[in-house]
Amino acid sequence: MSNTKLIRMTRLCLEVFFAHYRQAPLQAGAISIGIILAVTLLIGVRTTNENAIQSYSSATELLSQQAKWSVTPPLGSKRLDENLYFDMRADGFSNSLPVLQGVASDSNGKRWRIQGSDLMAALTSFPASVSASASQVNSEARAKTGGGLFSVNIPIGDILSGAPLVLTSKSLAEQISQDGDFVLGGVKISVIALDDASNLGSDILMDISLAQRILKRPNELSYIALFSDVSNNKSHLERLIGNRGMLIESDNGDGLTALTESFHLNLTAMSLLAFVVGLFIAYNGVRYSLLKRQRLLTQLQQQGIAKAPLMLALCIELLLLVIVGSIIGFMLGLQLSHWLQPMVSVTLEQLYGAKIFPGHWQWSWLFQAIGLTFLAALAASASLFIQLIRQPLAGNSGHFTQQKSANKIYRYLLFIAITLGFVASILLPFSQDYRYTMLLLGLVVIAIPLALPWSLAFMVNQLLKVTPKGLLHYQVAETKELIAPLSLAMMAMLLALTANISMNTLVGSFESTLKNWLDARLHAELYIRPASSQMAEVESFLKRHKEVDALYKQWYLSSKQDKLPINIVTRDKLSLAETTVFKETVENMWPAFFANKLVLISEPLAIKLNLGLGDGIDLQALPDNHFTVGGVFYDYGNPYGEVIISPETWQANGFPDTPMSLAINVTGDTDKFKQELQQAFSIPDAMIFSQEKIKQQAIIMFKRTFSITQVLNTLTLLVAAIGLFSACFMLTQARMAPMARLYTMGVNRRQLTTLVFGQMLIIVLFTCLVALPTGAILGYLLINKITLQAFGWSIAMEWDWFAYGQVVLLALVSSLLAVAFPLYMQTKQPLISSLQREVI
Amino acid sequence: MISKQILLVLILCALTITTLTACSKPSTPPSMGSLLGDNAAGYTKVDKSTPIVFPKDHLSHDDFRQEWWYLTANLETDEGEQLGLQWTQFRVALSPKKSPEKAAKKTESHTKLTDSDWASNQIFMTHAAVTTKTSHLAEERWSRRHPRLADVSTDPLTIKIDDWQWTGTGADLFPATLKVDARQFSYRLTLETSAPYQLQGEQGYSIKSADASVASHYYSQPFIQVSGTVAIDGVDHKVSGDAWLDREWSSQFLNKTQAGWDWFALRLEGGSTLMLFQLRGQDKPSFYSGRRMFADGSGRNIASKDIQLQVANWHEIDSVSYPVAWNISIPSENIDIRIEALNPDARVPLSISYWEGPVIVSGSHRGEGYMELTGYEH
Repeated sequence: MSNTKLIRMTRLCLEVFFAHYRQAPLQAGAISIGIILAVTLLIGVRTTNENAIQSYSSATELLSQQAKWSVTPPLGSKRLDENLYFDMRADGFSNSLPVLQGVASDSNGKRWRIQGSDLMAALTSFPASVSASASQVNSEARAKTGGGLFSVNIPIGDILSGAPLVLTSKSLAEQISQDGDFVLGGVKISVIALDDASNLGSDILMDISLAQRILKRPNELSYIALFSDVSNNKSHLERLIGNRGMLIESDNGDGLTALTESFHLNLTAMSLLAFVVGLFIAYNGVRYSLLKRQRLLTQLQQQGIAKAPLMLALCIELLLLVIVGSIIGFMLGLQLSHWLQPMVSVTLEQLYGAKIFPGHWQWSWLFQAIGLTFLAALAASASLFIQLIRQPLAGNSGHFTQQKSANKIYRYLLFIAITLGFVASILLPFSQDYRYTMLLLGLVVIAIPLALPWSLAFMVNQLLKVTPKGLLHYQVAETKELIAPLSLAMMAMLLALTANISMNTLVGSFESTLKNWLDARLHAELYIRPASSQMAEVESFLKRHKEVDALYKQWYLSSKQDKLPINIVTRDKLSLAETTVFKETVENMWPAFFANKLVLISEPLAIKLNLGLGDGIDLQALPDNHFTVGGVFYDYGNPYGEVIISPETWQANGFPDTPMSLAINVTGDTDKFKQELQQAFSIPDAMIFSQEKIKQQAIIMFKRTFSITQVLNTLTLLVAAIGLFSACFMLTQARMAPMARLYTMGVNRRQLTTLVFGQMLIIVLFTCLVALPTGAILGYLLINKITLQAFGWSIAMEWDWFAYGQVVLLALVSSLLAVAFPLYMQTKQPLISSLQREVI
Repeated sequence: MISKQILLVLILCALTITTLTACSKPSTPPSMGSLLGDNAAGYTKVDKSTPIVFPKDHLSHDDFRQEWWYLTANLETDEGEQLGLQWTQFRVALSPKKSPEKAAKKTESHTKLTDSDWASNQIFMTHAAVTTKTSHLAEERWSRRHPRLADVSTDPLTIKIDDWQWTGTGADLFPATLKVDARQFSYRLTLETSAPYQLQGEQGYSIKSADASVASHYYSQPFIQVSGTVAIDGVDHKVSGDAWLDREWSSQFLNKTQAGWDWFALRLEGGSTLMLFQLRGQDKPSFYSGRRMFADGSGRNIASKDIQLQVANWHEIDSVSYPVAWNISIPSENIDIRIEALNPDARVPLSISYWEGPVIVSGSHRGEGYMELTGYEH
């Protein structure tokens, strides 16, 4: 066939299809809705994720500059003496930036994060070089990095002179201006707004002269960022620094990325699940529209149109639908991400201290989404298209053969499902990394819906055996016929149900585990964290008071172990013995622990470092000691690894003697004593907690961690419900004719309604029944494999019947609505038009 | 020497002008003329009747917008190689306000900005360069004024930025040591002189245009003996030779019609030195000024009409042409010389780009010196 003829024929086919869709817009709509939903969730989550990850790397240093090295305060102190910075500059470490950060309150008590640095050094900390190419690169770098500050109108002279001028992102400036006069730390402040692209995030940037004044930290710095590579004279610099600070190589946000990796993976997995569910709907739509056009396609072929242009036309039709659906989905996805981002930001900022900047999206995402969706849709529809080619021209194949082939397909799908399940169950016990486990979990997720059609057919057959003859028997028998057209929607529904049930199980189990753990972990009534300068006074005050039954102390400092951020902790002996909730310990642990031979490590750290009881561990913070892991304790919701050392080891290493926090038990009125204490030492509310409050906050934080996941989960379930609705809707419409026939045979409307609702109920309930064990399996894997490996939290699994009931109810409501609507429409039509559908 | 100024001011203007003028139209970069015309407001003006007083005037003059300590040296290594060396510390006031430390003392405590050492409207920029026949290396440092970071202070007289430091003796600039550590080169020099300082122009009041609308305070020390070491790419060279120091401060440098300048510091055989500059007009003829100076402190100013400067050769660096060879004729001084760059590629490609390098003098007098060419980058 010549090309021109192929094109002409294809165009003809497309025109016919277009005319068809004008007659039946519902079919095109069903396909598009599936694609739109799939792409929406995919893009929404992707934008959110990429944005967060991008933020980590740019958050490392303001002005988009990346410091290769930094000098941080020595272990146990919070700030550096600025003399260290002067000494470094005087020694030739010129490309360095002193930074003082902190939190200051405005006149309304609202707290703001402050970034103070030598803005002159920030603007000019670039290595200047003499070679032409280097200087070119240099000026480009300057244009790029400094541009943000040079391009706007900044009275830098006033700023360097200590004038109360600060720089913020535009959005933050608007927020500030709403409150009227802006007074920070007693200083009235004028705000200069920078473009949001300047990566200021939610920080207030100011010159160090002002920051030291507002934060009341004269002569102090939080850290020093070094922009030149000091690896060549590292030892020289380390000698210069001495014990005044620590030289640390920056990881450009890698640490934060590693910390939040599992969180983002979770989101990605959820979005892929939603994508698959959406594709199910689209596939169902394609299938339905082909079914409706079977006669049309045959007629076209009988008119002499060859298979090649017909196929081409079908592919083009699919592509067009994909493009339209993807574009709409892309826009909705960006909007979705806009809604999700605050939620993610809150989680990430609260949990990991990460800054999230306003997002950017890329056109390439749209093209990727179109490509992915088209390929997936084509792969899903390929079998349908092929079936269509093989279809004999002489007319429709008989009903019986269709049913027979359906049974064959069910068995085939079941076989695949069992194989996948088998492979997963063999490999799962060996997987130590949550990424592989996630992959294997993916196999299980695919296997579950594949087994559904056979399971449904099996259950209906069993039901048929116990059903009395008559209309009821007919009803059940016909249900079997409905499995084939409904199976796809039911698969999507099952997937969503399973995911939802397992997620609910995980969240519910975690909450109760957390509560139990908190009960054991928190033994005191009041937890106090006074300023370290007050600590001694507070301690003696507490000792003087008779109401104080017990006084517990805690010391800790931040460190790193194998690039993971950890806390080194010690407590008084009683607290250690009473409040450490162990997963496992060596025998006779305590004596060896207090003899400074053992350390205790948190469960997440044990899993991340792959350490077990009896393993040796050399702590970076205690380079002269060698320890053995004597116990692993539970630690939930703490993103940092924790290592407990004995108080003697703490003292022997010369760490600060002053405890970081105190805990007390009080006889009598705790609240009254708390107020007394606060008044005596003016301890802010944020530094004194009752046990109740800690528990409350822990639960709130935990809920935030999971809120985004639950939102996505609910969205997936909604997508599946929409899918089910559209499938039922189309099916019921298709069944108008047989129902009209039954009506003419004397079955009255009430009986008919009961019949149709009953059938749908059977299928949905059976699907929910299948979702029960699969949800439990998935929940088990999520708890005992994924969460344990990714977060390092052991959770006792708890089954939540109430949550299960809720999702079953949602499935029922959506399917019943889908049936009721066309039935209601039918009552408005004359009987004859329903009967005529048979012939058309 | 003036040329750096313009460019420097241009850059800094991007920072400072904002509050004054740019709020209305931030996207249009200010033209050089309007910029230099408008911005001197609030700064102290150069005044003919203000005499130069030593040692006070070795220190910085914060109420003037710009100022520099400018050393160039023609040296020879032990191996007999010729070598040029530059060290310049620029000071720029970012706003016409008095520095806050001073303001603080006069006002009540609640009105003063802050007494932090960090607070200062003064910034420093230092350029250091080493030029041989075959290479030209230059680096820069920037810093705000802070007594521990970058400052000019007395007793001993110190001009420093980080670890680059001029250390004089007592309140005087000389004898001095100069220490610079850049990544590709470093030098440690001892600087001595027995000659009196030379006041340029009329007792240090140096006019920069024919109509005398622009001027600066300007004095020099053209007779400095240098010894020390220069390390290039890690290789030490013992050096000795002569150097020249210029001190200049003002609040406005070019008028609207001026495009750039060519400046020469020449040491002629027979023991005299010659300072010469040309301010090139955009349309109008150039303005020339010069002074022939002797080690006993005496000297003769050379009027604009007596100076003839002609470009003898152009050299292109990155598509910018610089006049790297000149014919200079001053009949009143019996001078008719040709000047050629030791290394024509001596462009300083830092935040501000200009040509600055050692030159060889031939013709009626032999000698050597330094040349600065600015305003050619367009």
